[in-house]
Amino acid sequence: MLEALGHFFERLVSLDNPLWFYYPLLAVIAVVYKATKLDRPREIALASLHFFISVTLGILVLGLAFYLVSILF
Amino acid sequence: MTDFAAHHSPVAALVLGWLLPGAGHAYAGRRGKAVLFAVLIIGLLVAGFAMGRGTNILPNEWWVAPQLGAGGPTAALMPLAQYLAIREPIDWASPVREIGTLFTAVAGLLNLLVMMDAYVIVAYPEEKGDRAAHRAHRSAGQENA
Repeated sequence: MLEALGHFFERLVSLDNPLWFYYPLLAVIAVVYKATKLDRPREIALASLHFFISVTLGILVLGLAFYLVSILF
Repeated sequence: MTDFAAHHSPVAALVLGWLLPGAGHAYAGRRGKAVLFAVLIIGLLVAGFAMGRGTNILPNEWWVAPQLGAGGPTAALMPLAQYLAIREPIDWASPVREIGTLFTAVAGLLNLLVMMDAYVIVAYPEEKGDRAAHRAHRSAGQENA
């Protein structure tokens, strides 16, 4: 189990993982989405950062859950 | 009807935003946001196009539907993609090409959101203005408290 988790995180942070491309994509989505809702640059920056971190952590938790399900069952 | 609404058409903002990302906001007088949206959306589209080695904006793929949300730039890149797709074989299995295609599709979908925002700014200028004023008032109240 711990070995599998280690493999998951090792794969996640390896430089040849194409998932790295999702970070700039998510950053653009966050800034554009929040810029349509808010007007002040500071508000847009803070809300975008919050959105980026929330979605990244959410996807990480979801990915980890699916990975655990895939190795357990 | 306000002076602004009398001289600006929401449909024009929508069409301009489709032709060039951010142009709808420039038309609505929001120049800062216009530059921000143009840089981010065109940048995302071109980055995705480059990741697909210029072969992922093709009219015979269903991805073209969301890609066409950014109408002008997509239409400009499509002939180049067709030319490059004929010139060299497409690596369909490449994960980088797949993600590049996703980039271009998301750029188109984000532009639809931006176009609608430009439409609302022009169609309901008082409402948008009131919302900004309300937020400014609220944040000023919090600072004073």
